[in-house]
Amino acid sequence: MGPNFESKYLMNKFFTKQSSIISFIFIPIIFLWHPNWLGFLGVQPYWPLFWLLPWSMINGSINGLIFGLFLGLILDSLTLDNTFTQIPGLMFCGFLFGRIKLHSDNLVGHFRYGLICSFGSFLCGTVYYLQILFRNFLDSNSLMFIPSIKNILAEVFLTGFFAPFICSQLLRMFKFSRRKLQ
Amino acid sequence: MLNIRRISTCRWWHKKKNWIFFVIFLFLVFARISKGTFYKDFYYFISKPFWPGQFQKEIVLESIDQEYLIKLNLLKKDNIRLRKILSVQESSNNDNISAAVISRKTGSWWRQIILNKGSRDGVEIGNIVIGPGGLLGRVNNTSLFTSSVSLITSPESKLGVWVDRIQINGLLVGLGDDYPILILYSNDADIKVGDFISSSPASTLLPPNIPIGIVHSIDEKLKSKKTAKISLLAKPHVIDWVQILKVNI
Repeated sequence: MGPNFESKYLMNKFFTKQSSIISFIFIPIIFLWHPNWLGFLGVQPYWPLFWLLPWSMINGSINGLIFGLFLGLILDSLTLDNTFTQIPGLMFCGFLFGRIKLHSDNLVGHFRYGLICSFGSFLCGTVYYLQILFRNFLDSNSLMFIPSIKNILAEVFLTGFFAPFICSQLLRMFKFSRRKLQ
Repeated sequence: MLNIRRISTCRWWHKKKNWIFFVIFLFLVFARISKGTFYKDFYYFISKPFWPGQFQKEIVLESIDQEYLIKLNLLKKDNIRLRKILSVQESSNNDNISAAVISRKTGSWWRQIILNKGSRDGVEIGNIVIGPGGLLGRVNNTSLFTSSVSLITSPESKLGVWVDRIQINGLLVGLGDDYPILILYSNDADIKVGDFISSSPASTLLPPNIPIGIVHSIDEKLKSKKTAKISLLAKPHVIDWVQILKVNI
């Protein structure tokens, strides 16, 4: 075994072990990238949920709660709204996802990811919208009602649509890295 | 004795994992307070290969008709001269900065774009950003290499505007969709679909006479005020290059 082979082996080992953390770093990048061709009515899927669901399913509610907080902190830092936050929605989703058990049937599992992520996206969107409503309560700005509903529905649809593809891959990756660790 | 030792070794601060979580938490709080400055700079470097090419800017610049440029310069000089005579506030446009859009959020809850010029290039919070068509928004946050622009469609945006045909000031408020709303605090205002909206000469945030949009539809339901939806001239979801104006209002 030459030094080249050894360094390759070590690098592979590092990437396998740290795949969950590496994928975590990419969430804000995709959030900033915001590819238009993946959007629907100008709205994007809610990216953090794709990572949070497999992570919480494998590591449990407390870990889900903590990483929901971490995700919320980093995503809030990238948006310009100082008054509204994504933290409560993501923390609640992290906690909730941790209580879901892995399913043995792969096909059923795929559809479950879609439904669960749709529900999570609806929850996060509603929590965010409630903050906007609460803030603008005194202005009685009911004009924001329709765009917000459109945002929530488009986000729910897209998140549910992409979740089976992304979540099952991430889940497999996290499981693999965990097995290697043990 | 044994029991005491066991309890003391089980304290949470003896666990390395808890400290790691605590350090990560502190780091993320720092990231939150600094508005993700280092993250945006990191994104600046990794997105660099995908920026709109230089040649695109050259094509856009070459395509501008020379005759219109000369006419525009003459009108600008005239405008400055007349403003000096009337002692009206003037805007300086000597320090314009060209920037490329490296990230955009023009749908969903957040309405913002990130530009590839930051505090290193002299961009400051409050600078005005215009694109082909007119006003896009204001710089709300800067990092060393990037600046974040809050678009006029953002729910947090409120600007003073001028309806040229009926010579009246109004307030342009973002709603979170593509059509911000114009509020005129006079029910008698004779606003019509197709009226042109520009930045108000009375505004303390914007230089005067920057084109903004056209009246798209009028809502007549409210009694004390009149509201209208505005179709913007500059389309943030397709613009790749913008100008940052360092205004001296």
